Amino acid sequence: MEYRDRLSDIISFLPDATWAIDTEGTVIAWNRAVEELTGVKAESIIGKGNFEYAVPFYGRRLPILVDVAITPNLEQERHYKLFRRDGDTVEAEIFVPHFRPGGVYLWAKARRLLDAAGNVIGAIETVRDITEHKRLQERMVQTEKMVMVGGLAAGMAHEINNPLGAIMQHAQNIERRVSADIPANLKAAAEVGVDLDLVRAYLQKRGILDFIGHIRSAGMRASDIISNMLRFSRRGDFGAEYADLSALLERVLKLAGTDYDMKKKYDFSRIELQRRYAADLPPVMMTVAELEQALLNILKNAAQAMASAAMIRPPHIILRTGVSEGMVLIEIEDNGPGMDETTRLRIFEPFFTTKEVGVGTGLGLSVAYAIVTTGHGGSIEVQSRPGEGSRFTIKLPLQGRG
Amino acid sequence: MNNSDIRVLLVDDDEMIRDCVAAYLEDEGFSVHGAASGEEALESITAISPAVCISDMRLPVMNGEEFICRAHALCPGTGYLLHTGMLYSLSDPLRAIGMTADDVLLKPIHDLSKLVNKIKHIAAAGRTL
Repeated sequence: MEYRDRLSDIISFLPDATWAIDTEGTVIAWNRAVEELTGVKAESIIGKGNFEYAVPFYGRRLPILVDVAITPNLEQERHYKLFRRDGDTVEAEIFVPHFRPGGVYLWAKARRLLDAAGNVIGAIETVRDITEHKRLQERMVQTEKMVMVGGLAAGMAHEINNPLGAIMQHAQNIERRVSADIPANLKAAAEVGVDLDLVRAYLQKRGILDFIGHIRSAGMRASDIISNMLRFSRRGDFGAEYADLSALLERVLKLAGTDYDMKKKYDFSRIELQRRYAADLPPVMMTVAELEQALLNILKNAAQAMASAAMIRPPHIILRTGVSEGMVLIEIEDNGPGMDETTRLRIFEPFFTTKEVGVGTGLGLSVAYAIVTTGHGGSIEVQSRPGEGSRFTIKLPLQGRG
Repeated sequence: MNNSDIRVLLVDDDEMIRDCVAAYLEDEGFSVHGAASGEEALESITAISPAVCISDMRLPVMNGEEFICRAHALCPGTGYLLHTGMLYSLSDPLRAIGMTADDVLLKPIHDLSKLVNKIKHIAAAGRTL
C-alpha cells in the first residue's frame, strides 16, 4: 500500500497523462494530466478493473498498450502505428478522434513495474499529446511537396508552353483558314478550283471542325494545369491591398453560381448557403484575385463532394468569418460525405484526387493551399470525418504577411 | 486605320511561335515582321517603326526586359507587349516607360483574337497621341 501511495503521489505531478495498473488489471494510479485529457476523475476509476481504463480512449473495454507491456500480444501489437518494443518498454502512436474536434495524436509509452525482488507487479503507461507536432510535420511535408512541384513546373513551363501554344494557336489558324470571311482564303480556293463552302460543309459533316475545337480546348486544359503548378513556385505579394472579406466572399459565391462546371454538374444553386459573417470585420491585406481563386476552389470541392454522394440531408454550406489573435478566420463547412483520415492528410497534396480521371486534376485544393500559405502567410486546415462533412479553416494575418 | 497600315514586330527565338502568331495576325491584315533575338530586332526596329512590338521574355543574350528598354529608347512611339511563360510582375524600368500588367501576355495565348483587339487598341491610341 505504501508503495502504491508513493507512486500515485509521484505520477500525479507528471505533466504527461499517466496511469498504472497492477497484474490483475486494476487501476492503481491515475494522474491529473490523464484526468484532464480524458475527463475521467481519479476517484471514479482507481480500483476498477476489467479494462475500464480503455473506455475513455476507445469507447469500449479492450487490452491496451499498458497490458501489452505486461503480456506481449503480437496480434494486438500489429494494429498499432509505429509500435516498438525496447526491453521492458513498449511504445506506439495512437489517434483518438473524439478528444478534441479534429482528433488528438498521442505518443504512448508503457513499461512493466517490478518489485525489489524483480517480480512483475503491474505496469505504467504515459501518453503525450503530439497533435501540434504532427500538424507542423504535415504542413512541412505539404510545403516541401509544393516547392518541388513548383520547381518542376517552372522548369517545364518554358519547354512546354511554346509547343502547347503552337498546338492551340495553329488549331485556331486552321479554323480561320477554312473560313469564307477572309479574302485570302477565297483567293487561294479559287486558284486551286475548290468551293470553300463545300470544303467547310465536308469538314462539318465529318466532324473535323469539332476535332479542331477539341484540340484547342484540350490545349487549354493542359495550359491551365501548368499555370496552376506555377503558382506553387510563386512567392510574396502580387498587388496586395486591404479589402473587405464579406464582399469578397459574396463575389466568390456569385462566381460559384455562374461557373459552368458548378452550375451544370454540381447544381450549386441547390446548395443552401448560410452566411455567418462577423459584423465588424476590419479590412484584410490580400491579393484579391488570388484569394477569390482559393475560396472558389474550396467551394468547388465541397459542391463536388456533395454532388457525388447520396445526400440524406439537403446539402448546405456554412460560411463563417471572425477575428482571433491578430488573424482573420474564414470557415467553409459542408454537410457532405466527409473524408477518412488518410484522405484528410493528403487533401492539399498536388495531384492528389479521389475523383475519377478527367473530373479533377487534384490541383484545386493545393492551389488554395499555396495561395493561403506562401501567398498570404496564412494557414489552412481541414477537419473532417466520414459521414460528418468537412470544415476548412483559413487563417490570414490581418496585416498581411510579416 | 486599315490593319495593313499597322506594323507588328514579333521577337521570339522560337520560330514556331513567331510563325503561328504571325499567321493569325497576317490573316487579320496586319503587316508582320519577325526577329529571333533582341539584337536582331534592335537593328531593324527603327526602319520598321512598328505600332506594336511583342517580345518574348526569355531570349538568348539580351532578355525581353532589356530589349524593350533599349527598343523604347529608339522607338518611344511603339507600344510594347511582353510575352512570357512564367508568372511575372513588371520590373521598375518597364513600369517607368508606361507598361502595365495588361501589357504582359501569358504564354500560351489561348485566344489570338484577344491579341488582335489589343494590337488594334494600342495602334488607335498611338495615332491620337
